[in-house]
Amino acid sequence: MPKIDLRNITGQALKDVSLSIEDKEILALVGPNGAGKTTLLNVVAGLIGYRGEVLFDGVAMDRVPPHKRGVGYLFQDLALFPHLSVAGNIGYGLRVRRFPRDVIDRRVEELMEALHVGKLRDRFPYNLSGGEKQRVAIARAIAPFQKILLLDEPTANLDAQTAKYFRSELSVFLRRLEITTIFVIHDLLGAEEMADRIAIMHQGSIEQVSKPGDILFHPRTHVVSEFIGMPNILDVDECTVLSTGLVEVRSASLRLVLPYEGTTIRKLAISPHDIYISDTKPPGPALNRYKGTIREIIPLRTLVRVKVLVDGTELLAELSRETFDEMKLAAGSTVHLIVKLRRLRYFEV
Amino acid sequence: MSFKRLSISISFAVFALYGGLILSLLYYYDGAMFLETLGSARTLFSIRLSLFTATVSTIIAVVVAIPSAYALSRFRFFGRQLIDTILELPMIVSPVALGAVILVFFNTPAGSFIQDHGVRFIFTIYGIFLAQFITTVGIAIRLIKAAMDEIPVRYEEVARTLGASPSKAFLTVTLPLCKRGIIASSILTWAKALGEFGATITIAGSMAMKTETIPVAIFMRLASADIEGTVVLVLMLIGMGMGILYGVRVLTGKALPV
Repeated sequence: MPKIDLRNITGQALKDVSLSIEDKEILALVGPNGAGKTTLLNVVAGLIGYRGEVLFDGVAMDRVPPHKRGVGYLFQDLALFPHLSVAGNIGYGLRVRRFPRDVIDRRVEELMEALHVGKLRDRFPYNLSGGEKQRVAIARAIAPFQKILLLDEPTANLDAQTAKYFRSELSVFLRRLEITTIFVIHDLLGAEEMADRIAIMHQGSIEQVSKPGDILFHPRTHVVSEFIGMPNILDVDECTVLSTGLVEVRSASLRLVLPYEGTTIRKLAISPHDIYISDTKPPGPALNRYKGTIREIIPLRTLVRVKVLVDGTELLAELSRETFDEMKLAAGSTVHLIVKLRRLRYFEV
Repeated sequence: MSFKRLSISISFAVFALYGGLILSLLYYYDGAMFLETLGSARTLFSIRLSLFTATVSTIIAVVVAIPSAYALSRFRFFGRQLIDTILELPMIVSPVALGAVILVFFNTPAGSFIQDHGVRFIFTIYGIFLAQFITTVGIAIRLIKAAMDEIPVRYEEVARTLGASPSKAFLTVTLPLCKRGIIASSILTWAKALGEFGATITIAGSMAMKTETIPVAIFMRLASADIEGTVVLVLMLIGMGMGILYGVRVLTGKALPV
């Protein structure tokens, strides 16, 4: 399976993109709509024109047509051939490449088995559910022994629960295949579950390429930070295991109680979106609740970000403009913060 | 009256117009004459000639139309708009005028060269093929292009990434997917060719037992005030056209697994 090198790719929405994807690596392209993620996949597949160089294992692919690149592509809309059955769809690439009949049959059976679509062999696409179509399309994309796999939003057509399960299954499957993979996904969490590395794209450029976790805790540019929701990154000074399966962490003067998963927590990421803000003291236990003073108010289009100083630590909270107007908050006001426990992200050792 | 009723009534009014005109033929219908005309060598020749020429010219038109329609549907190239406009020619120019254009062409040095050293079109069966082809190919391209426009390019892109060359992607994906559209277009092209008169009589003439297709035969009977004979041939042409159109429609009406 080849290493992919993209050198100074320009054209369509892309602006001088250079990126290397190692042999057998799974790389996620993450970014907002219009960032150029799908365009970059189309460049690798050779489906659109571009300036720059695409190399597979050091060999220039720029003049190689799509059907000779050996790149499997799962399009976002799947595009299963409506006139072919499940087996017909999966075997299509093998048939057009004139593989012997027995090889085709064996490969189709093997992939149907691996992707759990064996019982659907003779069904036609109009008769499949979203998840089944997804599996058949993946099987079809890799069937002709492709060297590279491109996946455009591989879980876009699935509900949240199924998508989560499918991501972990797909991740295991791709690692077993040892196929160099680039996949486009819109949320960072999904990317972290599957990828070896994550590339953040914005307006046709690569903003940052890092290992999962790194992006959240070490965003290198403001654009990346904005994209991941400007998380509050807290360095953890002390970790004390409580007896009830919980751990108390201390970051400067701030104390938080988190579920204990047997690891030492070094850093915490709290999205501003996950900090509730209130002008009155909320009822209930004081766990992960703080009193602070507003230092700065940053109005955005539909949101307002509020910097709150809590015992010497500055936390960024986010609330809707409507709620903000109702509370009549101003710099210097005293407010109460509630941190959503379940949404905390840890950097562990 | 609701809009639904109004629209249904108008469609029935159109049906009544055609139905009434066809029924009016029965006023001059003569059973004995029908059998006699139908069984005559001249009529049988016209039927055979019409079926043969319409079928051959439809095959040629569709074979030419498929790649042309594909190019117009999928690619953006210089002159595309011009070609697209020219295809309207058979629809906006009378077939007689088209026939006259062809006749004029064969009276130019280039046309004479073709006539003398290639195929003789004037007053021959080849002239019928040419007349029917010229008047139907534009329509065939238009109809097939409409069918191809319905098939997303994405299927071909998928086929390309799976190892299919552009021509293989076309043959294994696009063509099977617009099969029904091509069949429907072929039927309409065939029906148009079967009823073609203006260009045919201009190029191939009206020689009995040589270039006399059914529409030409109808004209000849009418010209000699043979109303009963005309009615028989018209009924036959209508019966043949409607019968085959209906038959093929039933045959191709089976739901495809799409």
